[in-house]
Amino acid sequence: MSYGRKITLKSSDGETFEVDEAVGSESQTIKHMIEDDCADNAIPLPNVTSKMLSKVIEYCKKHVETPKPDDNDELKAWDADFVKVDQATLFDIILAANYLNINSLLDLTCQTVADMIKDKTPEEIRKTFHIKNDFTPEAEEEVRKENQWAFE
Amino acid sequence: MLPEDCVCTILSFTSPLQTSKSSLVSTTFRSASESDVVWDRFLPPDYQDLLLRLVKPLKFSAKKELFFHLCNWVLIDGGRKSFKIDKSSGKKSYLLSARELFIAWSDEPMYWIWKHISQSRFGEVVELRTGCWIEIHGKIKTPMLSKNTTYVAYLKMRISNRAYGLNTTPFEISVEVGKQASHGTVCLYGHDREKQQTVRMEMLREREDGWMEVELGEFFNGENDEEVKMSFTETKDYHLKAGLVIEGIELRPKL
Repeated sequence: MSYGRKITLKSSDGETFEVDEAVGSESQTIKHMIEDDCADNAIPLPNVTSKMLSKVIEYCKKHVETPKPDDNDELKAWDADFVKVDQATLFDIILAANYLNINSLLDLTCQTVADMIKDKTPEEIRKTFHIKNDFTPEAEEEVRKENQWAFE
Repeated sequence: MLPEDCVCTILSFTSPLQTSKSSLVSTTFRSASESDVVWDRFLPPDYQDLLLRLVKPLKFSAKKELFFHLCNWVLIDGGRKSFKIDKSSGKKSYLLSARELFIAWSDEPMYWIWKHISQSRFGEVVELRTGCWIEIHGKIKTPMLSKNTTYVAYLKMRISNRAYGLNTTPFEISVEVGKQASHGTVCLYGHDREKQQTVRMEMLREREDGWMEVELGEFFNGENDEEVKMSFTETKDYHLKAGLVIEGIELRPKL
């Protein structure tokens, strides 16, 4: 069942996806393009790969199709499954949600990362997310001193 | 690696403690951990209202700075109350001054004396000069407290050198809010038969700041708009008592 027209989204690697306007409008970025009448042809999304775009579309479709209210247990379970991906993919979804301005997806993915960070030391966080320690020894010492209380 | 604004969103879902620890991960994390976006989430939702009620107005340039400033006790409501934030979790604690409580007969100098002491946060504390009827009640509205938190209420007090009669009858304590109610009795002093002397009971605890406290009870603060009623009474025994010095009732999160 679909209302309104269809719009076409084009990923960075040239793949096109046709979706209902309502689904595309879950993204504030796409919504504004539609409102500004830029959506007659395919909307180019140079910052989103086809792999990510299809994931994001899957999320938006599910959320448009599921009736509110928000405390829908089935939707929550679906969301929990949706973020059961490897860490690199999780980061990619965050980047896509950020670029496309999809608040609920950004909150969901960021909450997931926040839960992974919980109770971890800085070194453990770096290991989990493959982050390089780019502090100079002096800067690192300064930050450690400033936050001394957190390590006691 | 994620851009700083995404790291800000992630950190805002953690806690003040985790954010401070995570500032050491990388320069991006450090920068994100300083951001107003993050510390705005950690400040109590009603912080702007609380700022208006401060006895001493606060100047701050960043929300992180404000947060840490409020981790120290500050006076509000004309000096009748004090509050602070717990550094690790951002949850609020309150201290209601003796003037903010209902203390039966406290307007009669024959029974209770109001005075200033340097060790008190407030302008006045009240001391029981003599009397047999002890009835102390405190109230606070739940929206003032942090949501979805278990709180414990304590009577913050001291025992002066002139104290007597505090080891005869147990005191009645209670905390009531909505459908929750906890009642009990507490002894401040007892008699140690072995040592043949009056000893302080465990329920009268020494605090780090030189005061003492008695737990009145605990309750869970959900999201309702209710009033918490806390009591410390002894109204059955006709023995005279003296020497209770009351600073107030403290409510702190059970962490």
